[in-house]
Amino acid sequence: MREITLDELRAADGQEGRPAWIGYAGRVYDVTGSFLWQRGSHQALHKAGRDLTVELEAAPHGAEFVERFPVVGQLIPRSTGGSTCGR
Amino acid sequence: MAKVAREMVEKAGVNVDQLLELLVKNAAAELTTYYYYTILRVNLIGLDGEGIKEIAEVARIEDRNHFEALVPRIYELGGKLPECMKAFHDTSACPPARLPEDPRDIRAMLQMLVEAERCAVRGYTHICNMTAGKDHRTYDLALAILNEEIEHESWFSEFLGEGPSGHFMRRGETSPFVSKFLK
Ligand code: HEM
Ligand SMILES: [Fe+2]
Ligand SMILES: [Fe+2]
Repeated sequence: MREITLDELRAADGQEGRPAWIGYAGRVYDVTGSFLWQRGSHQALHKAGRDLTVELEAAPHGAEFVERFPVVGQLIPRSTGGSTCGR
Repeated sequence: MAKVAREMVEKAGVNVDQLLELLVKNAAAELTTYYYYTILRVNLIGLDGEGIKEIAEVARIEDRNHFEALVPRIYELGGKLPECMKAFHDTSACPPARLPEDPRDIRAMLQMLVEAERCAVRGYTHICNMTAGKDHRTYDLALAILNEEIEHESWFSEFLGEGPSGHFMRRGETSPFVSKFLK
């Protein structure tokens, strides 16, 4: 399965024509076409391009709605590509 | 705007701008549902369809009432409806309840109806959770609407054979819970 970093996820925020991806339970889902995720915003409370695992706990629905969407890949905890320290 | 009314809600720790966005989204869901249910109701015909027409009509009228009841609260809190009707449609908290491809498929019609009601039940439950003990007036309104949405869900769910819910179709006036906000 494709590995996706948090930075890659963050870039898919659904704004300005960019795809809308959401992180949930270690996976990344593509909700770009969803009526309820237009411009990467969901119910005025949640934003695409983030790991929403914790936020879903307080939602009035479960993961079954998320799991209907295609999986883009697996969310890996840290950004790859080496250290961002220094110049 | 009801300045102090808004201030009290803010002071209780509610993010009023976020709440307003959610109220507008739910108002949009109500008015668009009213529209889509008009089309669904017109198409509920034939031996199977006629029996459902009456409750679809009540659910339609009550959803319009929900829209009417939400609007004053939006303006009280300093919010407003979008200028453009198309933007209003697109901001709906629930997906459009479109006529199924085959309108003679009554099961598909019922599925559409029950899903629309379930979306509403989810939405108002969340607004109640956000406002409980903090924004008493919005809570009271969202709870009144929720009471009616749960009945709508029950009516369609029973037709789908999901089991009894203990409810009977509406008798007497529509919106027994929300009507106090419409006077
Ligand atoms: C507390 C905040 C939330 C509220 C109020 C909320 C509300 C809703 C509602 C009302 C629906 C429509 C359900 C239906 O049709 O019955 C929905 C769908 C959905 N929600 Fe949420 N939700 C919240 C949080 C989340 C979170 C955190 C995620 C992601 C992890 C999420 C992902 C989805 C998805 C993917 C759908 C389906 C969209 C579609 O079918 O096009 N929701 N949500
Ligand atoms: Fe409603
Ligand atoms: Fe309803």
